[in-house]
Amino acid sequence: MSAPTAARSAAPAGRRAGRGAGARGPDGAGTTRSRGRGRSSGVRRAPWVLMAPFLVVFVLSFVLPILYAVGQSFTRVQRSGLFGEEGTTSGFGGLANYRQALEGTAFVESVGRVVLFGLVQVTVMIALATVLALLLESASARWPGAFRTLYFLPYGIPGVIATILWSFLYVPGLSPLVDVAGAVGLDVDFLGPSTVLWSIANIVTWAYAGYNMLIIVAQLKSIPGELYEAARVDGAGPVRIARSLQLPLIRPALLLATVFSIIGTLQLFAEPQVLQSVSTAISNEYTPNLAAYNSAFNNNDYGVAAAQSVLIALAAFVLSGLFLALTNRKDRS
Amino acid sequence: MSVAPPTRRPAPAREGAGRTGSVASSAPGRTQRRPRTTILVTAILVVVAVYFLVPVYWVLVAATKSTDDLFTTNGFWFSDSPQLLTNLRLVVSYDGGLFLRWLANSFLYAGVGAVLATYLAAAAGYALGMYRFRGSGLILGVVLGGVLVPATATALPLFLLFSQVGVANTYWSVLIPSLVSPFGVFLCRIYSQAAVPVSVVEAARIDGAGELRIFHVLALRAMAPALVTVLLFQTIAIWNNYLLPLVMLADSRLYPVTLGLTTWRGQVDRLPEFYQLTIGGVLVSVVPLVVLMVLLQRFWRGGLTEGAVKA
Amino acid sequence: MTTLSRRSLLRGGVLGAAGLTGLTGCGTVGTAPTSSGTIPPAASGEVVRLQYWAWLKDLQQVCDVWNAQRPDVQVEAVWIPGGNVGGYQKLFAAIAAGSGPDLAQVEMRNVPSFLLQGGLVDVSQYGFDEVAPRYDRALVEQVSFLDAAWAVPQDSGPMATFYRPDLLEEVGAGPPATWAEWLDVARAVHEADPDRWLESFPIDDASVFIAYASQAGAVWFTPEDDRWLVRMTDDATLAVARHFDTAVSEGVVNTSLAPYEPGWFAAVGDGRIAALTSGSWGDALLQGASGASGLFRVAPMPVWSDIPGSYGSSYLGGSTLALMAGSEHPHEALEFATWMTTSPEGIDAMIEHSGIGWSPATGYIGAAREEGSEFFGGQTYGAEVFAPAAQEQNLDWTWPPIAQQVMDGLSDRFRGVVGGGTTMVDAIAAMEGDVVEIFREKGLSAEVAS
Repeated sequence: MSAPTAARSAAPAGRRAGRGAGARGPDGAGTTRSRGRGRSSGVRRAPWVLMAPFLVVFVLSFVLPILYAVGQSFTRVQRSGLFGEEGTTSGFGGLANYRQALEGTAFVESVGRVVLFGLVQVTVMIALATVLALLLESASARWPGAFRTLYFLPYGIPGVIATILWSFLYVPGLSPLVDVAGAVGLDVDFLGPSTVLWSIANIVTWAYAGYNMLIIVAQLKSIPGELYEAARVDGAGPVRIARSLQLPLIRPALLLATVFSIIGTLQLFAEPQVLQSVSTAISNEYTPNLAAYNSAFNNNDYGVAAAQSVLIALAAFVLSGLFLALTNRKDRS
Repeated sequence: MSVAPPTRRPAPAREGAGRTGSVASSAPGRTQRRPRTTILVTAILVVVAVYFLVPVYWVLVAATKSTDDLFTTNGFWFSDSPQLLTNLRLVVSYDGGLFLRWLANSFLYAGVGAVLATYLAAAAGYALGMYRFRGSGLILGVVLGGVLVPATATALPLFLLFSQVGVANTYWSVLIPSLVSPFGVFLCRIYSQAAVPVSVVEAARIDGAGELRIFHVLALRAMAPALVTVLLFQTIAIWNNYLLPLVMLADSRLYPVTLGLTTWRGQVDRLPEFYQLTIGGVLVSVVPLVVLMVLLQRFWRGGLTEGAVKA
Repeated sequence: MTTLSRRSLLRGGVLGAAGLTGLTGCGTVGTAPTSSGTIPPAASGEVVRLQYWAWLKDLQQVCDVWNAQRPDVQVEAVWIPGGNVGGYQKLFAAIAAGSGPDLAQVEMRNVPSFLLQGGLVDVSQYGFDEVAPRYDRALVEQVSFLDAAWAVPQDSGPMATFYRPDLLEEVGAGPPATWAEWLDVARAVHEADPDRWLESFPIDDASVFIAYASQAGAVWFTPEDDRWLVRMTDDATLAVARHFDTAVSEGVVNTSLAPYEPGWFAAVGDGRIAALTSGSWGDALLQGASGASGLFRVAPMPVWSDIPGSYGSSYLGGSTLALMAGSEHPHEALEFATWMTTSPEGIDAMIEHSGIGWSPATGYIGAAREEGSEFFGGQTYGAEVFAPAAQEQNLDWTWPPIAQQVMDGLSDRFRGVVGGGTTMVDAIAAMEGDVVEIFREKGLSAEVAS
């Protein structure tokens, strides 16, 4: 902040100090102004010097590409001749790329698909993580440390490799699961049009449930012992404690985990892309990200790909906005 | 982008709960342990454990088989002629040890990328958290917005951009974007506000210490727990990265192990011997990670709890 | 590995920004094919190094045969994933970036798409026309556009039927000679054993349907002056669609196991699939099915006896060796390409090491193909079945520069057929309008032929 405004901002900063985070640090206001000029400019320059390396890389690998993509999303190519051999021009195309992205049913369907996926998979995963965390933290669990480590293991396996692994367990002929099901008279097809989405959901759940469980465990561990004591004095059993003490206290974490998972779902890419080679049911536009990738690298429609990416980003913004609204309301109540 | 932090996995919990920080030995219902409940609970835990272990067990079994046995013998049990060593030797020697090179690349990308990313995030987060200056709010907002942008949106333009300066299809093309951890900046900002004592900073300043020196000597140390968390997350994020190398790299000698294994996986339809390579490769790449996860579990939980407590 | 200074990073930023303001700079990837003069051959004494991206197995061994003879032109083979499952993405990206190999494997049907992206060298400029008579005419036709040739045929896939006589005998049948017979046999096989099918019909890969339609005499795309005429709902196509609608709705073809996917191989190994109508290259792949050795034979594919103007066979797949626009040595690249695809030693090496499809050269099918194969019970099916099939082709068929999107769109619609929500007849009718729209979205002009 420049000097004149800095002086003004000192007051609110001071007021906020009582709440903790706000006014700490060399806030460049009153504190530093009283000292020599050189010092002051050093302090003023310091944050920029500190941020510079990050900002350079950030601008290069985030901001520029994004601006570029936004520009591309408004660009159309016009060709003359059978292959554009008589001239190719590109220029401002208005919303044509967006119209093309939204007109084709495939992209809109893919959004619907991941939303459905998110609602079911995220719910199941968070529920599983919560139940596991509560069980592990209950006195009834044997060897909680060993189980916890075990559940957490898949998180260290990259999604792509987890998908390769599970794909072998889905493919008839190779998969012992299909064999076992067949032996008891069940004809399962993990890769069919109605099942493959849930086969993907299984991979994602397998990979990330343990991680979410660990977060919840961490939250549970930070609930002060007195609260449990008080509850027990009131005669509450384990189920009651879970429902009326533990769950409310870990709720914010659950909400956060849920929303981040839903946003992650919008970006589903590697799992369906890898499974494509074993399932006839996964199209090139199965998820929004896959559709954008397909537009760019298979169809060479860079403008449409950019428009699709912008739409995915907007959806993510809307979702996170919803999340913030939700948590804010919660904070106020 | 790869580096966009945990997409599927949520950011380490830091909202709400557990502000008290008194990590009590908290197990409720300590009063009595009812054997029947114990058996029931443990049984449930065992069933779930089987679910988490089955794929890993399967790959362990499958890695000992020949391609023929893979299709003709029971998938959950070993064949009569186990050949684990033969398979593993094939994995590490195929195409002049390409697989080992992929592993080394993954370690390079994840190791170097995560360390540098953590340092950059620490500096930027500290700057945003400890200094008040014009534009800080805007920068924070833009950085956080970066988290939500889908990887495909940046990967293609980034590729075109890198191509023009001759960086595409080099180590740099994967490393440079991996240096960005918007989430790390966010966490470091919060953490520096909570953990770097203002009075000490002021005292150092009076002693004539420069701002950069204060950051390097005082702040980095105070922020250590947050840095460990950022480092772990970024390591995993880069290690898991798939789309960025997929777009950027044409030369298989630069591949990380994720991309390399999908390449092998893609060849099984035509060349069945690639089943052995892929399965063996999966086993080899999973084992060190699993070991690492177990060893580092303490840090994970530490990081998560810190995140929750200090935020 | 390139070293990178902060300065060059910044320069990248500036360039990017320039591209932003211009929006036409580096972004416009689809440039027109250019004929900006030819590049002369390398000076003698200079060692030319060529890169060749392809998904053929052990291709380097084929290149090494050449490399041993020609120390001045060394070819390095680089493996890429097969076509649409990753290889083309890499090639298109390389074209966009102005980098990439000298030579690349591009399927016949994708040559026009690469032409549209300005990724190919006009090989006529470098003397391809003189060697063109050495190739099957149908293949040269397929790479010729705008009065020039744009790629060198590498291999092709004349179609035939691989079948198991033992399984067909169980229902008292032989290899079906007509598609009507084929349907009867399919019914009989599936009725006799509900776990067995005559064939799989790949619902997610429309290229097979297109091959059948082309066999029936359909010509979906015709260049006329500066525009494309689209004709997908002709009688031949609709008859083919009705035929497979019947087979799918009766459930007598398997639609969940696509040929050459792991589950399909397992089914073949178990004797649950009795036949496969496919390109000639299927012979090498089929041998990946465990326990199938000696059981299969090859017969000509069924014909559309009741469709006038139909053909004896069709092409499925088939690749070209394309010279990429970024190459600095097109002369040498074409020399190598011609050697590999027309010389007996090149063809034999491709068959031996890469198990490649049908030779594109007239008059030489490869030494190995003259003999019988143990896997097929010693049948000399090369000369017997595929050589004639290669001559019974629909010469009028032309691929459009949007082939991949046509196939993807059609495959997407076909997926709905399995659930019973639609029929192939409806899917094709709906697709015809979409196709015109896809042309226009590419900035080209097209209309449905009246």
